[in-house]
Amino acid sequence: MAEQTTVTEPAQIPRFTAKGVWRGCVEIAPIAVFIIPFGIAFGVAASAKGIAPEVSILMSIAIYAGASQFALLDLWYAPLPLATLALTVLAVNARHILLGAALAPWLLQIPIKGRLAALIGLSDGSFAYAMSARERGEVDAGILFGSGIAMWLIWIASTAVGALAGSFLGDLTRFGFDAVMVTYFAAVVVGQWKGTKDLYPWLAAAAVAVIGTYVLPPGWHIIAGALAGGIVGTWRHG
Amino acid sequence: MVDTVAAVAAVLLLTLITMATRVGGVWMMSYVKITPRIEAFLKYMAVSVLISIVVPTTLAAAPRIWMAVAAAAIVAAVTRSALSAMLVGAAVAAAVKTLGM
Repeated sequence: MAEQTTVTEPAQIPRFTAKGVWRGCVEIAPIAVFIIPFGIAFGVAASAKGIAPEVSILMSIAIYAGASQFALLDLWYAPLPLATLALTVLAVNARHILLGAALAPWLLQIPIKGRLAALIGLSDGSFAYAMSARERGEVDAGILFGSGIAMWLIWIASTAVGALAGSFLGDLTRFGFDAVMVTYFAAVVVGQWKGTKDLYPWLAAAAVAVIGTYVLPPGWHIIAGALAGGIVGTWRHG
Repeated sequence: MVDTVAAVAAVLLLTLITMATRVGGVWMMSYVKITPRIEAFLKYMAVSVLISIVVPTTLAAAPRIWMAVAAAAIVAAVTRSALSAMLVGAAVAAAVKTLGM
């Protein structure tokens, strides 16, 4: 990377700048297309459940966490089961706590305002992008905020399209949209490979996650797999 | 039918919970001294989150997604570009779909 060799820029000091925000916005854009079919699908599913478009769009604006929004659709009836809704959303989104913790060594070196801005739109996609950017020497946490904003806008717009006009759109998977997220995450994982010392932690994560999909409540296999990979990695190399 | 006031109130509650999960990890770690050992744990945990999403999702998906992920992994290993890998992976998925598998 050219910017690491320039002397004028303090390349290694963690920071949060407007430039970084813009870079995050631009660089996430091609990846953010993966949100479109999911946003549309969410809007369509919400309408099918009898949820008014303005409510499903509000969910996407305010909650902005796809997996949990799909999970709450099944619980959206009168009177609203608030405790069950709260626990379900907490369970499905608890993996954010791990994403945040993983970013902590970086973000804790940044003033509180930038830190909160970087976290407010945190998602699996922006986290994967940030990991890939860190690998290239990125130190500007503005990229997290920027990528979060870009994905948020696309999520809101695609929810609106699905909620208002979804039934006219047909099957989007023929364009390969459904493969974008999983292939991008897989590519980021491959880019993190540092040699055979990673083998056992990675196998532990994969095995525990796969088993977890059978024995744990929805979403928790990710947390179990992440902790397993972290524990095995620390135990062998810490 | 859920009335609008109840719906908006519920959405706000769920928003607060989600926001708490977003800032909670860094907040918790601000009370922990980040030793090299903790840092190693967090590094392995970070990649393991993605592994835990990718592997079960791929296994549960159709064979065209297996091919897409395999193609993306190969391109990522060769080019070190996650973006090119994603584009090739999506192209493979679209091509296989079009060919009717």
